Amino acid sequence: MTIGGFAGNVLYVDLTHGKIRREPLDPALAEKFIGGFGLTVKLAYDTIKPGTDALSPDNPIILGTGALVGTNLPSTSRVYAITKLPTSNTIGWCGAGGVTFGCLFKNAGYDHMVIEGRSHRPVYLDINDDRVEIRDAGSLWGKGVDDTSEALWEEFGRPKGIMTIGQAGENLVPFSMAFIDRIATLGRGGLGAVMGSKNLKAIIVTGTNGIRVSDRKGYKKLSKAFFQTIREYRYLKEWQELGLVNSFPMIPKDTYMRMKKRRIACISCPIGCKDVIRIPDGEFKGLVKCSSSVINLYTPVIYGFKDYRESIKCMATIDQYGLDMFEFFGVMGFAKALGDEGVIAGDLMEPEILMDSLQSMETWAGKISKREGLGHVLAGGFKGILEEFGEEAEKYAPALIKGMHPYAGPGSALPWDLFGTMELGQVLDPRGPHVGSGGSPTYFAKRPLEVFPRHLRRMGVPEEAIERILPGLNSPGQEQEIMVGRLLRYSHTWFTTLGSLGICARAAINRFYNASLCAQFYETVTGIKTDLPELRKRVDRVWTLLRMANVREGLDRTDETPPEKWFGDHGFKDYASEKLLTREDSEQMIGDYYEEWGWDRKTGIPTQDILRELDL
Amino acid sequence: MGNYNIHVATERCTGCLRCELACSDLYTKVFNPSVAMIRVTVSDADWDISFTDECNDCGVCVDHCFYDALEKSEKEQEK
Repeated sequence: MTIGGFAGNVLYVDLTHGKIRREPLDPALAEKFIGGFGLTVKLAYDTIKPGTDALSPDNPIILGTGALVGTNLPSTSRVYAITKLPTSNTIGWCGAGGVTFGCLFKNAGYDHMVIEGRSHRPVYLDINDDRVEIRDAGSLWGKGVDDTSEALWEEFGRPKGIMTIGQAGENLVPFSMAFIDRIATLGRGGLGAVMGSKNLKAIIVTGTNGIRVSDRKGYKKLSKAFFQTIREYRYLKEWQELGLVNSFPMIPKDTYMRMKKRRIACISCPIGCKDVIRIPDGEFKGLVKCSSSVINLYTPVIYGFKDYRESIKCMATIDQYGLDMFEFFGVMGFAKALGDEGVIAGDLMEPEILMDSLQSMETWAGKISKREGLGHVLAGGFKGILEEFGEEAEKYAPALIKGMHPYAGPGSALPWDLFGTMELGQVLDPRGPHVGSGGSPTYFAKRPLEVFPRHLRRMGVPEEAIERILPGLNSPGQEQEIMVGRLLRYSHTWFTTLGSLGICARAAINRFYNASLCAQFYETVTGIKTDLPELRKRVDRVWTLLRMANVREGLDRTDETPPEKWFGDHGFKDYASEKLLTREDSEQMIGDYYEEWGWDRKTGIPTQDILRELDL
Repeated sequence: MGNYNIHVATERCTGCLRCELACSDLYTKVFNPSVAMIRVTVSDADWDISFTDECNDCGVCVDHCFYDALEKSEKEQEK
């Protein structure tokens, strides 16, 4: 392979037969699907047989990193995993800041990995350049995420990128996650359970091959100017100092500064957003906790915890088990309601479910992760609970989308009430309710619509689409509105662009990138001729293929129905007018979204014309 | 040897390894942290920054640090 940026190989691991092989990456395929998220989608489409059970050996896990990962372009560290997810039962993506994992995986010589089959015993995968071994994980099985990571680093030293699961993944809890370097999460949807079903406890990786840039001169010129732009950003130091506390002021800054021990950045990132904190006082004084953000450590506070130190301790336990915190608290709230209403017998509720109690929440996290007592039923998630307790339980269920609890919106952890792209995106991302792919200027509440075009151009939205998204913008006197469904199409485009190159999508860093620059960086690094229209086409091909993978699974519009709890007096409001959102409004947006993609407006199935146009 | 003394403020380091990437790129024309002459040894809460014997104090690592964990000052001219 002569193109730059790419490591040049796909690693195939067959856990059933203990076989490992590497195949050269097909340059034509890399070009057609960009790399990273894009090529991971393609490999998933080709590898996952329609109708495969998520937890069967036939369900492969496909990992991927982008062509820019391993260079020093800012925040190019992303790692993606695509598989059939057990919670949503869709083919969905999980993505994480790669910390060291993505870069070291590339340096080991691989852009992607396809993990197939099921080992007959617990194992972990040890990747060290060409030497790839399946090793016995008997001594790691039963350990939590932190303990597993520590044990592996202690045995093998650093640098080693580590991806691992906790006890929840081992026991096939469908809302279990995989963690990277014990900090970043490949979360929501149940990747942890898929790894657990394969008896795959962890993957460790290191490499020494290096990543070559195709056009060094062009790269130097482009990147030098880009670095300077970031250096001159007037809020750079503030972001470096405070991370996400800067945009989520739920944590008093003085409290944060007292517990802050260190910021952690993924490789190449100038605005590291991950935290190491140390509880400064109280019963848990001295407890050190790493997290993808200190904000996450405050999640139990949202659900009723009064003491932030207990909240951090609770999250340390939940992360050790490898549970998805939003789904865990959603399930616990549902179980408590069923207990209060007598649907679940009182003698099963031991200990009593108290949403604001550390002792109660830690105990239930353990019972779920180890499937003990009622924990076994709760470990089935909302679907498992509804199957167990039937119609009687249904009326107490929270809002659900694709079997999961949306974490933004009325009645959810993040009680955002304006209906922007991230909120609608919870319905229309194939993986289920996740806001990660739905970024746009609506991320910030009540932004004046006049500022939208500049941001949309940055995201690569064509001019004619901007007119469709903001129909009243150039018409004085006309009511200002924003077509959220049409805009979400381009949120997904922008997410796919960034993900396929390996760039982080967090607002703090993606603000420096624009779609044209992405095309330039991609061309300079890889040597593959790429202008903005061509990049757009490849991106459209990727997201449409992900749609097709799920259409093939039977996904249809009924799976993308906004929950009833989103409407009414305490429901979502329209982003621009702030009028209460109606179901009809949301249906219109969903139709707009499909149409903007060139998919059938009623069914959401890509049309033959668009498939031909995208060469799919 | 290069012209700089390199000063390290480990407490500001985030482990982004931009220094290792820059060093390896300058001297080997590939981004490859494993051959960098600056070494950031990361653990969860504490880590260390050191230099290999081959480091010539060129200061490229400093130029690429966004966190002020590395600073450089010109060496005094030998008389």
